[in-house]
Amino acid sequence: MAPTRTVKNKHAAPKGTSTGGSKSSFSGGGISKSKGKAGSKSKAPATQVKGRPNLKGLDKKKKQKSYTEKELGIPELNMITPVGVTKPKGKKKGKVFVDDRESMTTILALVQAEKEGQIESKMMRARQMEEIREARRAEADKKEAERKARLEDTKESLRRKRKRTAGKSGGDRDDGEENVKAVALTGTKAAKAKKKRVSFAGAD
Amino acid sequence: MRPLTDEEMKTVLDKLANYMSDLKSLIAPLEDGDRYVMRLNHSRVYYVKLSIANLATSISRDALLSLGTCLGKMTKSGKFRLHITALPIIASGARHKIWVKDNGAQPFLYGSNVVKAHVGRWSEDCPEHQGCVIYSMSDVPLGFGVTARSTTEARRLDPTGIVCFRQADCGEYLRDEDTLFAG
Repeated sequence: MAPTRTVKNKHAAPKGTSTGGSKSSFSGGGISKSKGKAGSKSKAPATQVKGRPNLKGLDKKKKQKSYTEKELGIPELNMITPVGVTKPKGKKKGKVFVDDRESMTTILALVQAEKEGQIESKMMRARQMEEIREARRAEADKKEAERKARLEDTKESLRRKRKRTAGKSGGDRDDGEENVKAVALTGTKAAKAKKKRVSFAGAD
Repeated sequence: MRPLTDEEMKTVLDKLANYMSDLKSLIAPLEDGDRYVMRLNHSRVYYVKLSIANLATSISRDALLSLGTCLGKMTKSGKFRLHITALPIIASGARHKIWVKDNGAQPFLYGSNVVKAHVGRWSEDCPEHQGCVIYSMSDVPLGFGVTARSTTEARRLDPTGIVCFRQADCGEYLRDEDTLFAG
């Protein structure tokens, strides 16, 4: 059957050979225009370069040696991959909308619980601060009261002292009154100091 | 117009939770079997009935100006800003409240903060920097803000001291008329 086969297209022949047809695979008769496996034994292969079969073998080898980068264990290049570039595989493209009631309720409950917690903690903190402030104020008040009491005490003691001294010098009261009168008359100005005199030894 | 993503939904609810104590009422099913959903269009978040949202799909995104109640706007940095249009929703489940006297209503509606002298009453146990809704003495919601002091601290404050920082007030309907719904 092989002799009846003609190759109309020049370029088809080498392709057929390159894709690897064999005698056994060639079973169909008649003209074949196909570029596929069918074309194998034609004139073209005979005239072709001797190196063909070797190439075929190389192709096969190449196919076998397809490793991924991970399998090879090559250290990865130190480069930056922008966020937008890395897309997770198997994930749906675009936005995920929330429209069903269940998911909305879930988000709602989550948000509300979070907010409640925040407000509660805020309140607690405010209460604690208020307590501290109250305690400080109470302490300040107490100190103020103590200071006032001490002042009163000293005042009282001073008053008592004066009374006591007044009681002791009861006979001198008239003198005291006279003194007061004298002060009232002359005023409280300090008594004038005697005028300083200068005397010369020779003058006497 | 599209539904919110997981992250966006969390941001929006987080902001609402500052002001509201009961969020579950927001998405509770209605008597007629319908429910409220949130939709995003032109970076604005709308709170709308599902049936209306479904109807609105027949309108192109560019042509759709607004639907339902606008809650606020998503910023470009991914934060969420509440608008005054969300006041009816917030006021329905407010966590903390401040009632302002009649003499304080006008200054607040003109955009100033709430001072202690204007406060009629306030809810107890309110911490600092917590969202609160401002009401008039006749229980009409005027706006919302953030407390400047906790309730106990505010008691000791002098009359001119700020009690609440304004976030939004009803005066914005007039002041920000041009930008409130579009732009």
